[in-house]
This record gives sequence, C-alpha cells and structure tokens, in this order.
Amino acid sequence: MRLALLLAAAAAIAAVPVFFEDSYWRANLTICAINVMLAIGLDFILGYAGQLNLGHSAFYGIGAYASTLLIMKLDTPFWMAFALAMALSGVAGMALSIFAVRLRGHYLAIASLGFAVIVHQVLLNWISVTQGPLGIYAIKPPPAIALPGLPVIAFSNPANMFYLVAGFALLFYLLLDQLARSPIGETLTAIREDEVSAASLGINCAAWKVFAFGVGAAVAGAAGAFYASFVGTLVPDAFIITESFTILAMVILGGMGTLIGPVLGAIVLTILPELLRGFGDLRLVLYGFALMLAVLFMPGGMAQAARLARALCGRVLRAQVPG
Amino acid sequence: MTPNVAAKAVANDGWRAPDGVLFRGECLNKSFGGVHAVRDISLDITQGSVFAIIGPNGAGKSTLLNLMSGIYQPDRGAMRLEGVDLVGLPAYRRVRLGLGRTFQKIRLFKHLTVLENVLAGFHVHHRIPAWQYIVHARVFQRDYARCRDEAMRLLEFVGLTPRAATPAASLAYGEQRMLELARALATAPRLLLIDEPAAGLNAAEVEKLLDRIGRLRARGMTIVVVEHNMDLVMQIADRVLVMDYGQYLFEGSPAEVQASPAVIAAYLGD
Repeated sequence: MRLALLLAAAAAIAAVPVFFEDSYWRANLTICAINVMLAIGLDFILGYAGQLNLGHSAFYGIGAYASTLLIMKLDTPFWMAFALAMALSGVAGMALSIFAVRLRGHYLAIASLGFAVIVHQVLLNWISVTQGPLGIYAIKPPPAIALPGLPVIAFSNPANMFYLVAGFALLFYLLLDQLARSPIGETLTAIREDEVSAASLGINCAAWKVFAFGVGAAVAGAAGAFYASFVGTLVPDAFIITESFTILAMVILGGMGTLIGPVLGAIVLTILPELLRGFGDLRLVLYGFALMLAVLFMPGGMAQAARLARALCGRVLRAQVPG
Repeated sequence: MTPNVAAKAVANDGWRAPDGVLFRGECLNKSFGGVHAVRDISLDITQGSVFAIIGPNGAGKSTLLNLMSGIYQPDRGAMRLEGVDLVGLPAYRRVRLGLGRTFQKIRLFKHLTVLENVLAGFHVHHRIPAWQYIVHARVFQRDYARCRDEAMRLLEFVGLTPRAATPAASLAYGEQRMLELARALATAPRLLLIDEPAAGLNAAEVEKLLDRIGRLRARGMTIVVVEHNMDLVMQIADRVLVMDYGQYLFEGSPAEVQASPAVIAAYLGD
C-alpha cells in the first residue's frame, strides 16, 4: 500500500512537467516542491512535537543565504554548501528550541516570531555580507550532472530543476515519515499531548524538542538552498515573517500531525493564488476567504476531510451490498 | 532511545539499604511560598509490599508522591531507591531506575489511541540502532513486534483489549484510570506510585482495581498508593503512613492505624 503510494507520487512528479509546458507553470511547480519541504519540516515541529514555531521563515532564510554566500564568497561546491546550509539551519533550530524548553504555547510563538524578525533584520542590515535590500544576483543553478553514457543533466532547464527539488522533497518526506512511524513518533506526540506524563514515562522532553526543531529546521534550510539556486536572486524580504504564516497555513489547512496533509496543503496554497489570478485585485481576498472557510469547516485539515470522505464512501458501498 | 545517561551518572555510591528496603526517604521537606506542604517526613518502603499514604485533604500526600517521582525536588531531605540517591534527578531519569507513576488528575495522551498510549510507555526500553529509525530493518521490526505484544498483554491485564484502537479521550472515566495504570506498567517499574486510584470509580471498578494491585504485588512489584478511601487502604496495604498538615501522624499496619486515637481524631476532627 505504502509502496504503491510512493510509486504513484514518483510517477506524478515525473509526469507533471510534461503537462505544464510553459515556463511560468514550471517555475510554480518548483516553488511548490520547495513549499512542500517547508510545510513538512514545520509539521514535524508543530504537528508532531506540538511546538508552536512561528520562526520557520528564519530557518528558510538562513539556508538560502548560507548556501549562496558559501558558494559566492568562499567558492564552496554547491552540494557541500547545500549540506552546510542544512546543518546551519538545523543548529539555528536547535538554538531556538532552547526557548521551547522554557516556554510553552503562545509564549513560544512570540519568542519564535521574535527570532524570525531578528534574522530578517540581520539579512536586511548586514550589508557588507548580504548586500541588504539590494539583494544578491546571478546565483547559479546547481552544477550539471554528467553521467557517462547519458546526456548531461543541466539544472538551468526548469524541468530538470523541478525533478531535482521534487525528488528531494520526496526524500525528506520519506525520511520524516519513517521517523514518525518509529517510536520517535510516539515520543514526540507524547510530548505534544502532555509533557508531565511524557516525563513520567522516562521521556526527556527538552532533548526531544531540540531534536524535532533541529530536523524541521534542517529541512527548511535545504528548501532555502534550493530556492536561492532556483530563483537566482536573493532579497531579505523573501524571508519576511509573513512567510512563516504562509507555511503555517499550509500545515493547518493540510492537517497537522499527518505528513501527507501538509504536502497537500502546500500544493493547494501554492497553486490556488495562481489559479485566482483572473480575479485581479480580488485575488488575495478570495484566497483569504477560502482559507477561512476551509479552517471553519474542516478543522482537521484536508487529511481529516479525506479520512471522512473515505469512511463515507465505505459506508455507501457497504449499504449497496445486499445482506 | 537516548543513551542511557541516567544509569551511568548516578552510580551506586556504596550506601546499603537495610534488608529488604527498596525506597528510603529521610526528613523530606517541601514548601510552596508560606505553605509547608511536607514537613520532616521519613519513610522506608519494603521490597514487595503495598505501602499506603493516607490523610485528610491537604495533608501533603500528593506532594510527597511528587517528591518521590521527581515532579518536585525536596527543599531538604534525602531519598534513595536501593543504593541510588534520587535528590536532584529529574522525573524522566528516575523512570530508568525503575520508578513509575500514575496521576490523580488523569493525564492521558487524549488524542492518541489506547494502544498508542501504552506504546509510548516503552520509551526507555527500545534497543534499536539509530539508523534503523530511518530504515526499519530487522532489529526495528522485532522491537516493534515485542512492544506491541507486550502492550496488548498489558491492555488485557487491565481489561481494555477491545478498546485498543479507541482514542483515549473517548474512554469512560474508570477505563481511563485503568489505562493510566497500563501505561505506567509499560515502563516496567520496580516501584509503582499510584495517586488516588479509586477517585471517581464505582464499587465494581474499585474491586477490579484492588484485584489488579494484588496481582502486581504477587508478582513482586512494590507499590505505593496515595488514597482517600480508608476501606480500600485497609484491604490492600501492608503498611500505612498517616499524614496531617504535611506532618507525620502515625505509621503502622492497617489494624494499628484503625486503633490509633490520633488518627481517629484527625479524621473525625477534634
């Protein structure tokens, strides 16, 4: 069953660029894959470990700037810069989680929001390094892969770039899914549900929060590194705090505490604003309205709606079978 | 799962308990602001016995239990589980030493199923190499199957087998208490602390609870029960500590407690 789903996902990734031929939609597809990474990373922290993190845009920004600066200033090879950016974002997440050890709920939300503001301001004002609001231009795509006997795979080609980013998104999904299906999943959800009870079962809540933040932030760092090399320009405002809320909306709309939910949420919330472009100025109003309705009528997100639909179908089918 | 730091850092320092004493508390004190909730309490708990702590409301029974389990640290006093000094150890590290507990105000993982609640209790017993958390290979599968079997056995023990897939929040009150017991048992405690187990239970449920506590003792488990219900205490306890206003009032066998004028005065009011 899971293998079938995995193959279906891989087939979908392979097929999608064939259907969307113009470069505008292909660009959106890659952004979509990046958003999927951001959403599942946040969900690991928020949906599983239950830590209300509003600083996810900061981890995204740290990954993007770290990889770009390593490549442009220190001539680091792309994949090494990519790995270092993931590590650095992960460490930033672990550092922020120290607040999560002391703070809970709304208080952690405010502290993590403050963290996102600080990172954005540093990117904006540390001009000698980040070039501030002027931004960094002409960031190269990941280096082409030349395998013997095969045509060179160049990532300046948007379809290839999509395959690369979507492939990594799938990889991270599998990684987080395996962790969530192991006793680590039980441990994190126990912390989400009740920390005192969790401690009474021998769970070191502080250490596991550090772990969840580190993993979630590292995935966001990878998303940032791909974003920079895909878009080719970096400005601090790409990582402004509203980005945290967009990622949060993807997780909540999709369904916290499931991994497939935030994937759907990320896809819908990336594609929907583009589909609404025909409405001109009303576009974002409709987008906001759709979000409100969705949260109002399916508080468990799309994952829950899907479960309900499946249960309903099952009942209808059973009703049709005589006897 | 996490490296076994607890066992390494708190090595036995050579102290030997008197024969058969599993837990010893000496002169324990705890204040909250101006309230002296536990004052100079000492207790020896014998291996394999049921030890009850009773007293009127606000006598400091639950605070004493929280000192033992590590939710609070004592202001003064010493505590040892076998040779190991417990003072300063956080609650989660005491679990690896064999201390398990349930809560007076039920604290289940409400959104998890009954089975998942119990599975979470095996946290300290997983022996899986780190990489197998990502690639679920042989050791992982074996560990998973073992925990599942053990969890189902525990659910059978407390009579919740048919409810295994139900969310914990939709259990009846009495069932929730039994699930807390099963979850605490999953940590495989040597000393099990049970906080007001009979609160809110009907007569049949109390009967069942007494039976289960008796069976645990028969297996050699040492049990501390904080309880309000005198009848229950008289039926199961080997030894009873009576507290009043945070202080020691009396200690003895159930029969001695029932005969003590001091205890009667505290309960009936003088």
